[in-house]
Amino acid sequence: MNRFTKLGAMLLALVPACSGERPVVVGSKNFSEQVILGEMLAQLLEARDVPVERRLNLGGTFICHRALLAGDLDVYVEYTGTALTAILKETVSHDAEAVYRRVREVYRKDLGLDWTEPLGFDNTFAIAMKPEVAEKLGIRAISDLKAHEGSLRPGFGHEFLEREDGFRGLVAAYDLSFKNPPRGIELGLIYQALIEGEVDFVAGSATDGLIDKYGLTVLEDDRSYFPPYDAAAVYRPSTAARVPALAEVLELLEGNLDEAAMRALNRRVDDEGRAASEAVASFLAERGWLGAGAK
Amino acid sequence: MDTLRFLLERRADIAAQTAEHLFLVAVSIAIAVVIGVPLGILLTRKPSLATPVIGFANVMQTVPSLALFGFLIPIPLIGGIGNTTAIVALVLYALLPLLRNTYAGIQSVEPSVVEAGRGMGMTDLERLRLIEIPLALPTVLAGVRIATVNAIGLATIAAAVGAGGLGNSILRGLSMVDSRLILAGAVPAAALALAADGLLGRFEKWLGWDR
Repeated sequence: MNRFTKLGAMLLALVPACSGERPVVVGSKNFSEQVILGEMLAQLLEARDVPVERRLNLGGTFICHRALLAGDLDVYVEYTGTALTAILKETVSHDAEAVYRRVREVYRKDLGLDWTEPLGFDNTFAIAMKPEVAEKLGIRAISDLKAHEGSLRPGFGHEFLEREDGFRGLVAAYDLSFKNPPRGIELGLIYQALIEGEVDFVAGSATDGLIDKYGLTVLEDDRSYFPPYDAAAVYRPSTAARVPALAEVLELLEGNLDEAAMRALNRRVDDEGRAASEAVASFLAERGWLGAGAK
Repeated sequence: MDTLRFLLERRADIAAQTAEHLFLVAVSIAIAVVIGVPLGILLTRKPSLATPVIGFANVMQTVPSLALFGFLIPIPLIGGIGNTTAIVALVLYALLPLLRNTYAGIQSVEPSVVEAGRGMGMTDLERLRLIEIPLALPTVLAGVRIATVNAIGLATIAAAVGAGGLGNSILRGLSMVDSRLILAGAVPAAALALAADGLLGRFEKWLGWDR
């Protein structure tokens, strides 16, 4: 079966591309979960014979957003809280439903872009520490960091250091002032920096597979600082109108990816070292989503 | 105007990052000089080693910097996240200009001058100290100058592995598509490179007076 059908599918995918039909351009930000989600959109589209161009691993939220606005991307997965605070620069709200409604409304009205229903998982920020360090210092929640602000060494991705709902907001909400300035580290390396003891705590994502792998302690956000980050696809309505299969794929994903599923997928890539494309292909096969029209 | 105000607001950050940047460059160039110049001299005494050693430095030069960090991170002692990795990478990149210029500088000393020294009964070490090194010095310094300017540019990547420096502003700016923030890193880095180039150039001229 596989090799020839795959080759056949690839050739089929090329036919409309050659005949001049514009491919659907799928984007993603530069971390595993995003690449997985981009790959999932791409494979689901390809299973429906839609030509796809992958622009995965783009350098962060703002690059994806700008590219979508400019029409260089047709679809990528965004998080409600990120859209609200980082893109629309509005103040944090903790009502997940209200945040979703607000961003969808503004995107439709002001940006001419649309949101799907949430996919089913909330990828909020997770402040993580090594369990032995957390235990030794008696840190359970983010507010417990206050007692150790003179000695702890924070490390974050560069985007977290700059965005409003990132480090600056965090220290303001918890009234923290760390003696050691936060280290900026490439996002993909923050857990390694934590494990090696270069930094004492980092901000990762709640769905990161590596949190499970290393058995890290995730500090409780006891002042509910981080807004909800429900994942949903943002897309250009004109593309969905032109390519009915895109609308079909987006509808298929709505509400069908819960946190456990996402974490398991992330773990296949981050922990087991499998390629995102392969992890997604086997996941889609398990779910039986690859058969055309499957729901 | 807006950009200018933004840069002013960030001046504390920019100053701190510039200091980190200078530290990374100064330490790595110092280490590279301590390794590269004696090694370059050694190569003129053992020419059979010259091809493999300079070849190695040449290959290091072709490894993209992010890839080099990737290779270094898992190595104990010289790798990891932080300053060490960044400095090791910068040293490896600085070696080529230093090695090659030292080697070429000494090789290009007029053989008749060296011969004259030998005729006067100088030992190999005396010829090196009194004739070859002084005559090769301008070329060696030109190597230091190239290596330093290179290192100032390359050190912007150090922010990816948590070593700080002006790359912090650049990477943050890239992740936010904020060109003011990119400028906050890029402009001081360019200024540092120009200043270093100018200073070292002046130093070369000043040394050239008594020749």
